[in-house]
Amino acid sequence: MIVFDQVTKVYPTGDTILDNVSFHIKEGEFVVLTGPSGAGKTSIGRLLIRDLVPSSGSIKIEDVDLSKLKGGQLPDLRRKVGVVFQDYKIIPDKTVFENIALALEIINYPGKQIADRVHHLLDLVGIPDKVELFPIQLSGGELQRAAIARAIVSEPKILFADEPTGNLDDTTAKDIYRLLLAIHNLGTTVIMATHNEKFLLDHRHIHLEKGKIMADTATSAHSKKPKIKE
Amino acid sequence: MINTALKNIRRSPYQALAAVSMTGLTVFVVSLFALVSLASQLILTSFETKPQVIAYLSDEHKPEDVNLLISDLTTTGLVKQSIYVSKEEALKIYKESVGNDPLLLGTVTDLGIITADVLPASVEITAKSPDNFPTIVSILERSKIVSSTPNGQKEIDFPQDVISELTAWTRAIRTAGLILAIILSINSVITIMIIISMKIASRRYEIGTMKLLGAKGAFIIKPYLIESVLYGAVGGVIGWLASYIALLYSTPFLASRFVGIIPLPVSPVIMLALLAVLVVFFSSLGLFSGLLAAVRFLKR
Repeated sequence: MIVFDQVTKVYPTGDTILDNVSFHIKEGEFVVLTGPSGAGKTSIGRLLIRDLVPSSGSIKIEDVDLSKLKGGQLPDLRRKVGVVFQDYKIIPDKTVFENIALALEIINYPGKQIADRVHHLLDLVGIPDKVELFPIQLSGGELQRAAIARAIVSEPKILFADEPTGNLDDTTAKDIYRLLLAIHNLGTTVIMATHNEKFLLDHRHIHLEKGKIMADTATSAHSKKPKIKE
Repeated sequence: MINTALKNIRRSPYQALAAVSMTGLTVFVVSLFALVSLASQLILTSFETKPQVIAYLSDEHKPEDVNLLISDLTTTGLVKQSIYVSKEEALKIYKESVGNDPLLLGTVTDLGIITADVLPASVEITAKSPDNFPTIVSILERSKIVSSTPNGQKEIDFPQDVISELTAWTRAIRTAGLILAIILSINSVITIMIIISMKIASRRYEIGTMKLLGAKGAFIIKPYLIESVLYGAVGGVIGWLASYIALLYSTPFLASRFVGIIPLPVSPVIMLALLAVLVVFFSSLGLFSGLLAAVRFLKR
């Protein structure tokens, strides 16, 4: 489903963020990307939605070469890949409801069904009572849940979650992880970038360092219902 | 989309006020010049359609003399129309023009009732061009049946250069109005464009996020275009309203000066038609301004 073929990304400053990275992610996989800060985890997410373009190599999603996409085709790609951003990217002057509804308005979701869908998603992520609150009124965990809800509300085939458990306490981090597992169990291909090795379990695990893949367990034998390490 | 546009307007009311007041001022000026232009056209038409040269006849004139005079005038080829107005017809015209005013009809004055005897018969000539006035007047001056004043001057009325003056003034008013309207319209476009550009720039984070979520350019700019159109439309209505109020306020003053030339008060149908034209035109102008701002943003 997702093919990175010898992808290298060099920034104009000369810093190499990804160096000859290749991997293949199958449909329905749950992949954990690990590595220290600056390893290139976030860049992979940005390359997936062509927020960045590779300096060399190719990236394919469902056999479509992203480098060959024209400007007008980018929205279609981005609707296919939901992203939970590290900094959430929740619009501060919109309520939780408006932030999530925005993702539906973007895909021309029928107006009358938007409210039902948003409430359903808020139930799913566990913050049904926060619907009319503004981002500033939410805790870190609640913001993360709102960001996840927005990322999956339009039912993308792929979900890239960038440090979704980043600044959260252990209990909240586990809740968020369980939420991602639930989304994965609904059939979504999930890529979780994290430096928290508690969530490796028996998922496929790609470890990056200084833009290079240091390890890729590349296993398809992961459990559908893994338990979290205590 | 409309809700988003209205929310954007509510968030920055002073910017909205600047855009609407600039557009409103432009519409007010355009609207007034349109009305003045229409009025000057009516005045010009009134002068052109009325007899331009009137020769008053002595009471002793005979029908065959009048026919001969009209024939002389017609054979020059310079006359569009020449008609004979008898004393009775002159009285009828007079009564029609003064209405039921008893003072002007002479029914309550010591002078007694105005009768046909008091009024002279005349030949009324419409020339093909104001340039032909001298030739027509010279023919009339030679005629024996045209009456003379005690000092021997023939009683002939003609407006000389009025029509050409009026044409020149009408043209000048239109040109000045058009130039002013263009300058103010450009100012409106620039004002709306700057305001929309500022709004787009201030919401760069939101727009960037929307792009990452898969929003198309049209989806992103649509609320800003709606906002631009609203500025144009609301400015159009306000400017029209101001000009209508000004017109209604000055109607009593104008009505007494343009009796029979401009029908006052101006028909509401004309004003509504003007409103429709202004709103459509300035909404389009607003849309154009918004598109300019959006194109600048999309190019970045």
